[in-house]
Amino acid sequence: MSEHSADQPVTPLNVVGRSLERNDGLGHVTGRDIYTADRTFPGMLHLKLVRSPVHHARLRGIDLRESEKVPGYVAALTAGDVPHNLYTILGLIGVEPEEEWVLTPIGERVRFKGEGVAAIVAETEAAALEAVARARLDLEELPAVFDMDEALAPGAPVVTHWGNNTFMYEGHECRRVRFGDVEAGFASADHIIEGEYRASPIEHAPVETTGCIAVPDPNGRFTVYTNTQALYFSLDNTSIILQVPGNRLRFIGGMVGGGFGGKVDVIVEPLATLAAMKTGRPVRFVYSRAEEMQISSTRSPEIIRIKDGVMADGRIVARKVVGLMDCGAYSRQTPYAVTKFAANAAGPYNIANVWIDGYCVYTNRTPTSAMRGFGVTMGSFALEVQMDKIAERVGLDPWTIRLRNAYRNGDIKPHRKVVEDATLIETIQAAAKLVGVELAPELQAMTSAPRQAEPEGAVR
Amino acid sequence: MTVANYFQPESVPEAIGLLADHGPELLVIAGGTIAMPLINEGISLPSQVMGLRRAGLDGINLDGYTMRIGAMVTLTRLGEQYHVPLLATDAGRIAGWSIRNMATVGGNIFAPPPAGDLATALLALDARLTISGAHGERELALADFWTGFMTTSLEPDELLTSISVPLDVEPSAFIKFGRKQANTPSVVTVAVTAGRIALGAVGPHPIRARQAETVLAAGLLDRATIATAADAAAAECDPATDAIATDWYRRRMVRVMVERALTELAAKSKGKEA
Amino acid sequence: MGSVVINLNLAGREVELLVKPLATLQSVLRNQLGLTSVKEGCRQGGCGSCTVLIDGEPMMSCLLPVQDVAGRTVTTMEGLNSPEGPTPIQQAFLDHHGYQCGYCTPGMEIVTTALLEHNPQPTRDQIVEALAGNVCRCTGYQPIVASIAAAAASAGEEVR
Repeated sequence: MSEHSADQPVTPLNVVGRSLERNDGLGHVTGRDIYTADRTFPGMLHLKLVRSPVHHARLRGIDLRESEKVPGYVAALTAGDVPHNLYTILGLIGVEPEEEWVLTPIGERVRFKGEGVAAIVAETEAAALEAVARARLDLEELPAVFDMDEALAPGAPVVTHWGNNTFMYEGHECRRVRFGDVEAGFASADHIIEGEYRASPIEHAPVETTGCIAVPDPNGRFTVYTNTQALYFSLDNTSIILQVPGNRLRFIGGMVGGGFGGKVDVIVEPLATLAAMKTGRPVRFVYSRAEEMQISSTRSPEIIRIKDGVMADGRIVARKVVGLMDCGAYSRQTPYAVTKFAANAAGPYNIANVWIDGYCVYTNRTPTSAMRGFGVTMGSFALEVQMDKIAERVGLDPWTIRLRNAYRNGDIKPHRKVVEDATLIETIQAAAKLVGVELAPELQAMTSAPRQAEPEGAVR
Repeated sequence: MTVANYFQPESVPEAIGLLADHGPELLVIAGGTIAMPLINEGISLPSQVMGLRRAGLDGINLDGYTMRIGAMVTLTRLGEQYHVPLLATDAGRIAGWSIRNMATVGGNIFAPPPAGDLATALLALDARLTISGAHGERELALADFWTGFMTTSLEPDELLTSISVPLDVEPSAFIKFGRKQANTPSVVTVAVTAGRIALGAVGPHPIRARQAETVLAAGLLDRATIATAADAAAAECDPATDAIATDWYRRRMVRVMVERALTELAAKSKGKEA
Repeated sequence: MGSVVINLNLAGREVELLVKPLATLQSVLRNQLGLTSVKEGCRQGGCGSCTVLIDGEPMMSCLLPVQDVAGRTVTTMEGLNSPEGPTPIQQAFLDHHGYQCGYCTPGMEIVTTALLEHNPQPTRDQIVEALAGNVCRCTGYQPIVASIAAAAASAGEEVR
């Protein structure tokens, strides 16, 4: 309770402290809420993508002659139909360069198995699927890479168009944080403790698959019903890709059957809207379950390597963290994830000497993207296992190790932000009380109040 | 290709007549739990389909020493009968409630590994199949029915109509080991009864662990014999690697689960609680 | 293309439909009858969001040729909804937050309806087993189990 509120009069609270029924509760429990794929429109067409069956190849040709013969086939879109075909979804927040194709042009490389090469629109979903099955692609296969260490080694197949397999941060191969002098810290430490932590990709697997329906309005605008988690993000990117002003697009959403970060990639709206423009009819583009599991983005695989210099009393005096995050064939949200990682990779601890390298690594895997705390969640896993390892090595318990290293108000984090409103120490103390662990008096007496003196052993 | 005809024959002769008319082009569906996902995904594109729900194949008949189960009896229904506890237990461990209401005993015999849990128990029971065709009826042991991965000796003009199992075979033991507690594909399935050991998900189809059975036949069902039999079963199985488990893990789990199943069987044989 | 006329009994109403051969019950309910409480999650019988009752028994409508249930009673959420407000099962799901995104909810409630019909006093294990074929990616299942236990209790019996 802050000092501020002690002086405030107590007013009756209408919402805080009460259990409220959500305003979509009734619609959900009666099954009456309308989700994207529940909608249907007169004359609605179905869009399905012709996708690369191989991981890495030069696209030499697309043959849709047999597709066109399927009863119900209406139209196809290829790279030349897309006004702004090369894009990056984070372009909206200034991330460069543009690197992902909406549809792969002939002469360019497909970079992951499932990459979309042509869009086929048909009267029924079955006709679209059959037309897709009859498409023939001329592909010159190339060596592929699926492992990050391999991708970073000399001689690896190159995924990007700029020659190396890392996203470039202002000319650097990784996001870097430098604070103090880790080598001097290691030299002064009583223990050097290293750990390597790996996380597998995780598919969000929402029960509702990704999808949208783009409907031409009578006034030349388009209404797009979509289950994206990021309505304005999707609208703006569609505007860029189709080169139409945003005020010609009306996006309707908010009813999402599970997202978890898996519906932020703006992957269906641009093509559905383009197809609606080309045909003048509503176009539905909804992922099958197989597409949702195989093609849609996942949480990135990660390798986090930590090297700590630790004193006999448990204080960490130097921490070096190198994190590799596999963005797959295209970077999507991972550059942002790596930036977040770098900002948090020392953990909530007061460490005088820190070196962090965060890499966004390209491989020929399915592009990865956002998922629940992306960039930080797995980092926390790695850091906290490492803390337990440290505790074991120096002969202290996990509570002591964390409290001794916990940051406090006024401490400077490695990326130069000053710690404010810290409650880590108090939270650990409350947790100990909750589970019946009695902390030593010196630990129980700790608070997040600013330190009075320089931390012992600091090397700057 | 869209489906041109969906036939719903109301008798076995009618079904066989349709098979004779259309040959291998006619896709036969029982519960639909295997065929319909493939059709829905556009992987299977049949033009002519025959469904067997109305063909009168859903009866369960007892006759003296055997129970004759119609090929279209659902897993739920099989789970409710008490004449052959091994089958009731097995059926209840497959998929979830809705799928059990649809999936059939006959269909399970054609389910590719790692599916085929019920077929595994039927194999342990030394089930006999009745197959009807244009030329009449024939019977053969389930053990002789599979010829390889997803292939059987069923001729294009034939229909599996019923499965017979002996009634008096208790005690038995059944273990389905998966990665979840329920509604999960098998890492390994084990069914043991009357000196027979059947394994599922560790071969091109459910298999009898014959070497292990020889070990059992030679001695008492004591700890040492059980261990030796389990070793033999692990050595003679032929597991594949798939998204569920690797071949080496399946082989290890055969060792563990066969031992557990035989131990359970031994305890039951002595009349004690397992 | 050989469309066929069939009859279904939907929530006490006889409905006559023209259907394509092997059309699934799911596609007919959603696309021809507008009964979109029947969801589409996988079309493989793996997620349970398409669960309906056929003569009171739960089945996956995505795997069921509609012609196979001609003449039978089909129950969807629309057939269970009441104009007077949430049914007891629905109220229990509201009270115990047995939903988040809502996509699996109709399927869960359909199975619940069948479960409590068969077994008005299910144990917790029996509830969990009944739900084995229905996937929820949001709640972690505990609030759903709690909702069902509460629904059973509110029907006047104690849950063991």
